[in-house]
Amino acid sequence: MTTAQLSSPTTGPAKHPLHPAHTPTGQLAFGVFFQGVNSSTIWRLPESGDQVAFESFETLARTAERGRFAAFFLGEGLRLREHRGVPFELDVAGRPDAQTLLAALAGVTEHIGLVATQNTTYNDPVDLARRLQTLDLLSGGRAGWNVVTTDNAWTGENFRRGGYLDHADRYVHAEAFVQVAEQYWRGAPIAHDGAHYSVRAQGELPRSAQGRPVLFQAGASPAGQDFAARTADVIFSPHGTLEAASEFRRAIVERTVAAGRDPGSVKILPGAEIILAATEAEAEEKVRWVRDLQIGPEQAIALLEQYWGRDLSAFDPDGPLPDVPPEVSESGVTRGAGFQFAKAEELTRSWREEAAAKGLSILEFARAKSGARRGEFTGSYDAVADRLAEFARMGAIDGLNITPWLVPSGIDDIVDHLVPRLQERGVYPAEYAGSTLRENLGLPPV
Amino acid sequence: MTAPAPRPAPAAETAPTATTAPAETGGAPDGAGPEAGPPVLAVDLVTAPSLLEGLAELARGLESAGAGALTLSDGGLHPIHLAAHLAPLTEQIALLPRTDALYVEPFHLATQLMSLDHLSDGRAGWLLQAETDPAVPAAVGREVLGLEASAREAADVLGAVRAVWDSWAPDAVVRDTERGVYVDASRLQYADVEAETFAVRGPAITPRSPQGLLPVLVADTDRAAAGERVAGELADARALDVDVSVGARPERIAAQIAAAGPVGLVRLVGLDLEADPLGTVAQLVGALRGRGLIAEAPSHGSTLRTRLGLPAAPFQPDPARRADRARLSREEAA
Ligand SMILES: Cc1cc2nc3c(=O)[nH]c(=O)nc-3n(C[C@H](O)[C@H](O)[C@H](O)COP(=O)(O)O)c2cc1C
Repeated sequence: MTTAQLSSPTTGPAKHPLHPAHTPTGQLAFGVFFQGVNSSTIWRLPESGDQVAFESFETLARTAERGRFAAFFLGEGLRLREHRGVPFELDVAGRPDAQTLLAALAGVTEHIGLVATQNTTYNDPVDLARRLQTLDLLSGGRAGWNVVTTDNAWTGENFRRGGYLDHADRYVHAEAFVQVAEQYWRGAPIAHDGAHYSVRAQGELPRSAQGRPVLFQAGASPAGQDFAARTADVIFSPHGTLEAASEFRRAIVERTVAAGRDPGSVKILPGAEIILAATEAEAEEKVRWVRDLQIGPEQAIALLEQYWGRDLSAFDPDGPLPDVPPEVSESGVTRGAGFQFAKAEELTRSWREEAAAKGLSILEFARAKSGARRGEFTGSYDAVADRLAEFARMGAIDGLNITPWLVPSGIDDIVDHLVPRLQERGVYPAEYAGSTLRENLGLPPV
Repeated sequence: MTAPAPRPAPAAETAPTATTAPAETGGAPDGAGPEAGPPVLAVDLVTAPSLLEGLAELARGLESAGAGALTLSDGGLHPIHLAAHLAPLTEQIALLPRTDALYVEPFHLATQLMSLDHLSDGRAGWLLQAETDPAVPAAVGREVLGLEASAREAADVLGAVRAVWDSWAPDAVVRDTERGVYVDASRLQYADVEAETFAVRGPAITPRSPQGLLPVLVADTDRAAAGERVAGELADARALDVDVSVGARPERIAAQIAAAGPVGLVRLVGLDLEADPLGTVAQLVGALRGRGLIAEAPSHGSTLRTRLGLPAAPFQPDPARRADRARLSREEAA
């Protein structure tokens, strides 16, 4: 991708610049992702709100509605994260059940979609399908389900079936699970006999305004992509740079076509952190300030401890990376999916080399690592608007799922300064397209 | 959490003797808590899809008419979701889903109910039901339990749910900017439940809710399946079922309450929503309250525990279940 190809953001959608089977809509949809548990939500500032109080969720959802966001997202983790065998103390932790909370939000919002991340391994499909349909009916067709597949036995310790699923079976199981849910939503009789259990049931609730909840999928492995291409309406992807997002679009279009579906029927929304200011210089300054607040000396040491698997508290956060080998057996197994790590030796060595080459301290290195995962949506209002318009024109993404670094005021500047600029550029809706989440994401009816 | 305001004691001459003593049915205050007064009047709503139209208006109307609680019985839509939906749309009325303890994941159930308590600022309760319809276990791939097994399972689930509720101290979220500590693991504990058919490790993924332990009640209609141990010993109170589909004459209902013995909730079942439900409830409330047979309208901000005369539920730390025990043993070894 050359910079020449990336200029002229206002010329409208290009014809299949990424894949012949894909025609960009040139439009973006935003979601706001209230993660609840993570290292990016700053809790040290006086304006950081309560992470559990309903008013935090309500304020964020109402702001998002003012900015015509398509969706309000909640994350899920079914066991408190641990660090070296102890619940992790340094990040925000503790959140309400996603769907219970969304059922309450349905009554105080009007337009925004309500999306719950829910695991297929530790739920029962009919129970989950009924809850989601209840939410869909309560909200007038605004429910969504972000399908995730965490399978570790450590999480399973909280559930009847325990950690009964092999890693390789996650998506096989997830697909069967989603099929049962879809049968339930259609009101069809269900007679499922799977490897792990049997289900006999019959859907008994009426159809919602959007037919059924919108299916999101988050999970980027090839098996996850195949699963999404066959079953999902939206992929919540981790690929936020133009290059990675374009590659991912091509891969998903290939797979969607192979699955016999119209590639326009699977939208892609990468997770993103957006840090904005009036000028580029101010934005750069702000990014540094945000990173300092996100990653303090304690978090920096803890980040390394996850991979080293041992106590590193004796090391100076302002000094070089630890020159001791990792304790491989303890690394990273309890922080949940995404933190599992087998090649600790190799990784810690390469990190030491990287930090030494760049002259970074532990603290600087940890801040750089945490920022690098988050795509490229920091800068002045105009620069970010231009960049996003280019993403839309290319069709690399269909929108963003934004993780605010502050709750509940973390999207105020996006709504006040970025959204109007995107609307001026013709890539963001001025009004909600309809009353259902499906309509507001531009998805075909079911 | 704000301390619940003690409810004024009922006037002695109007309170029937049957309800002045603290409920004997478990969770009995050992003299420390507020006195149990007359029961709270609840209206039962069945969660059929047709209920959705005008639901918020109906709930607010029943609140204004003086009902102290709503119970949500399963009619298709999920009762916990409907209760949660009503939480921000109402102000004082208590919200009790009547929902199954058996064919569910205890960890999810505990989290959902404590989330309801957060959403309603301490107005949540659980009307524990032990499902007898074979369609429910079939949907999760299980066999229907016989009466004895069902009673045992209900007791185990109730114990597990309470252990999850009691896994965070109220002050576990410390937000200590000096030390960079958001949550203090020494103020968390594992549930560490090992029951016959399941295990739950914990701690909760949700911080302690305003009431800590939600009041758990058993309706008369569920008593047999829930079993004597749950209904009589482990639950906090009994819900007396009053069928109003056959008419809502205050004299008949007053006699039923007086004859019932200690109850926490008087639950009106079968209220005709097509007729004049608000008028019926307002009239009943007037007549029953006049005789001191049901509790006064709740004061704003009081928890359901307070309204039921239950003592506050302090965090009960168990040193063996401390969530930071791995750190402690490392420190000891060093
Ligand atoms: C953007 C994004 C958000 C995710 N959010 C959650 C979440 O809230 N809860 C969860 O359990 N897993 C979450 N996941 C994890 C995935 O569901 C999945 O378990 C993980 O990516 C590993 O799957 P894979 O091997 O297919 O990549 C998320 C993944 C991505 C990419």
